[in-house]
Amino acid sequence: MTSATIKLDCVTKTFDGKVVAVDAVTLDIRAGEFFSLLGPSGCGKTTSLRMIAGFEMPDSGRVHVGGQDITDVPVHRRDMGMVFQSYALFPHRTVAENVAFGLRMRDVPRPEIAKRVAAALAQVALTGLEERRPGQLSGGQQQRVALARALVIEPRVLLCDEPLGALDRKLRQQMQFELKELQQRLGVTLVFVTHDQEEALAMSDRIAVMNKGRVEQVGAPTEIYERPRTRFVADFIGEINLLDDGPCPGALRPEKIRLVPVADARLEGTVETANFLGGATLYRVAAGGRTYLARETHSGERSPRAAGDAVGLAWNDTDVVPLES
Amino acid sequence: MSMPPNKQPFDLGKAAYLGLNLLLLAFLLAPIAIVLVFALNPTPYISFPPVGVTLHWFDKFFETADFMRSLWLSLWIAACVLVLSVVIGGACALALARGNLPGRAFLTAFFMSPLMLPAILTGLALFQSYLLSGIGRPLWGLIMAHTLIAVPYVLRTTLAVLHNFDRRIEEAASVLGASPARVFFEVTLPLIQPGVFAGGVFAFIVSFDQFPVSLFLVVPKGETLPVVLFNYMKFDLDGAIAAASMVSILLALAVVLALERLIGLKAYVKL
Amino acid sequence: MTTRPPVSRRALLRTGAGLAAAASFGAPAILHAETKTLKITTWGGKWGDIMKATVLPAFEKEHGCTVSADQAFPYVPKLQVSPRNDPLYDVLHTNSNEQWLSVVDGLVMDKITAKEVPNVADVYPYAVSDKIVGVSIFTSAIGLGYRTDKGITPPKSWKDLADPKLAGARGGYLIPVNSLGQCHLMMLGKIYGKGLQDLDAAYKALEQLKPIKLVDFTGQMEKMLLSGEVVEGVIHDSGVYRYEGANRQPVDFCSPSEGVMALEQVLNVTPGSKVKELAFAYIDYMLRPDVQKLLAEGVWYSPANKKVKLEAKYDAKLLTTPEKVATLIQPDWKWYNARKDDIDARVTKILKG
Repeated sequence: MTSATIKLDCVTKTFDGKVVAVDAVTLDIRAGEFFSLLGPSGCGKTTSLRMIAGFEMPDSGRVHVGGQDITDVPVHRRDMGMVFQSYALFPHRTVAENVAFGLRMRDVPRPEIAKRVAAALAQVALTGLEERRPGQLSGGQQQRVALARALVIEPRVLLCDEPLGALDRKLRQQMQFELKELQQRLGVTLVFVTHDQEEALAMSDRIAVMNKGRVEQVGAPTEIYERPRTRFVADFIGEINLLDDGPCPGALRPEKIRLVPVADARLEGTVETANFLGGATLYRVAAGGRTYLARETHSGERSPRAAGDAVGLAWNDTDVVPLES
Repeated sequence: MSMPPNKQPFDLGKAAYLGLNLLLLAFLLAPIAIVLVFALNPTPYISFPPVGVTLHWFDKFFETADFMRSLWLSLWIAACVLVLSVVIGGACALALARGNLPGRAFLTAFFMSPLMLPAILTGLALFQSYLLSGIGRPLWGLIMAHTLIAVPYVLRTTLAVLHNFDRRIEEAASVLGASPARVFFEVTLPLIQPGVFAGGVFAFIVSFDQFPVSLFLVVPKGETLPVVLFNYMKFDLDGAIAAASMVSILLALAVVLALERLIGLKAYVKL
Repeated sequence: MTTRPPVSRRALLRTGAGLAAAASFGAPAILHAETKTLKITTWGGKWGDIMKATVLPAFEKEHGCTVSADQAFPYVPKLQVSPRNDPLYDVLHTNSNEQWLSVVDGLVMDKITAKEVPNVADVYPYAVSDKIVGVSIFTSAIGLGYRTDKGITPPKSWKDLADPKLAGARGGYLIPVNSLGQCHLMMLGKIYGKGLQDLDAAYKALEQLKPIKLVDFTGQMEKMLLSGEVVEGVIHDSGVYRYEGANRQPVDFCSPSEGVMALEQVLNVTPGSKVKELAFAYIDYMLRPDVQKLLAEGVWYSPANKKVKLEAKYDAKLLTTPEKVATLIQPDWKWYNARKDDIDARVTKILKG
């Protein structure tokens, strides 16, 4: 399967003449990359994706795929695969007919359609369900059909709009693995829209964090997590202690805070709550007139502290990430 | 040893619900039952209890040329109205739901307005305008009048389907390479079809049973069945009327069942 | 229980032929340009059958024209809406009350005389009286119909309808929609008050008739009498006499001693008619003794033409002599129509509940 680069060049989209959904966004997505657009609802991530797909026409700026300017190419000629949150399967067609749809539109000969549909269904482990209708399938199965339908046309680009959002947690994690594995196997460029930071961190090669129509930061998951550039990114990704006092603001991840005896402490405080998370415990500690979040990983024995206990907090200055103001 | 089943407490609400439904059913079906009794009873008036059973009135209905002519005419008109109102109503609904038209609320109200107006006024107004514009009262004028009344039914059911329509399904088709026309025929049309045809069934029945609008628009020897029955009733009120009603009901039922069979009104989609 | 065969195959075959007829209905009949069409209204039922089978074809043949006969009510509103210079009908056949409504609006001619319609010279005076616009070609007598098998004394007077024994078993009409009801109301004014126009007396008398079974048209009253739901009620003679011979039912008609009300079948011509000569010829034709006899004996209407000689059994019951015709009371519809709204409101209130 071939893959293609995607480039959004200073793309702006306004709705109803006033709501700026996407504001001068520039993105370079590499060929074969798993690229996530991450942000809260209304940040412009879906609109960006829909402009790549061709459902929305940018007010200004251009969209390039594989080095070609496709801004004016209609949706049905863009040769992309897309998976929707609602799956958007054709309810009046069988699983096989759903998957065959894109091939039929391309006038692929019938025997070849049958072969490729079978292969695509095998790929998503749905062999045997060809004659079912979408309404007779579970959510996970529907998601797989949607995936097979999008991939069977061998698109250069696969667009996913919160594709796992409707699945329960366990199934979602399983599908995350499967999707990632499939993407790597096929080498397709995948643009993944999500508001779930854990999902983005787990699956992506790179992430663009968006807020209010703008891209706040683009980077690999580790980079985004460990070196958030803005206060928004720091706050949106995982739990964070924002240190606003002092001349320049900084951010400190809870796991970088150690709970130490009061004597060795940088700050003295009192445990407010202690949430047992299984592999770790998350403490809320009142200290110095505010609340700190501290995560203690359990390696070996737990050092149980309960609400009301006096604790000391300590961290290294190098773990404080400076934020742009 | 298995446990004895737990005794379900008597659920008053459930019983009342069941009772109410049975009552409603009886309320809806009782008139039909009365008509049937009248149609099978030999006396030319409603007598209860019935004094016997005869098919005489059915025979009279089928033997009377005026009834037969008007019955077929009514069926023919209703079939035309079904087709026309499905096409017009369906197209209107799509335009209203999808067209991004200015004044959409106004347009919707406008197309629905034949439902708000007493049909007798619609009939009279059409009659007047037909005569004034020199059209006279051609058959197509009557069909158009029925269509006018029937379109809102198709419009309403189709709009309801379109309202719940997940447009992502159409987007999925277009991103898979379907041109707008193919999206319409491959996806949109099959999915709104149950709504359109449910409206079509209403349209058929509205036309077949139409009296007030037809009243002014029928021509001598071109009267529809309801008009003929109404006029027949003024002079000969007998069981033929009831027989005609039974035949109408059965025909309407047959058409609904046929359409159901043909098109499958029971949507396979949760729309 | 009757042993009629079920719906015959012939009947079903005929319905098939009907389909073909309906299918070809879309194409308008192509008429020869020179063939004139006379547009009339006429009644349905037995009357309509005779008209369609015999009377109208003969007229068409005689005059080389086509008659388009509208049997679908309501005639007057339809006529009202159509352009005056190209009216929907050339001849309006309806009851006198509607003729009066129409003449007020200029929809029909005032008078029809022997000059236009020679046979008018032979009609009884009532047919062209000052209570008539156009010409009455037949009349029925409105009186009392009653059951002969329910042990009631046969009525002789309109007052007998008020007999307390008839409570709930007497029949009348929804006065706003039925001219027989309107006639009855006026008659109440005459027998209980100072005359046909004594509405106060009429209202009071109407109150005394409660409880009363009300219907909206005469066909229903016939059926109520036949089923015994009504034992005595206001009805026209033809509605009772038609059940004779093999069709005999235990009902009879009484012409009350105070007189019967006239229910005239009136023909009139629209001033804007484009085939006025033909229209007059049609009325003249309808007044011909042979046509009058045919229809009179067909539906038990009393012919307006004095020269008609009916078979003995019809002659015995219908108004065929000057003496019998003299018992007819003609209401003043112009007067009534002018007050109709007030009367409707009042009687609705009285008969409610």
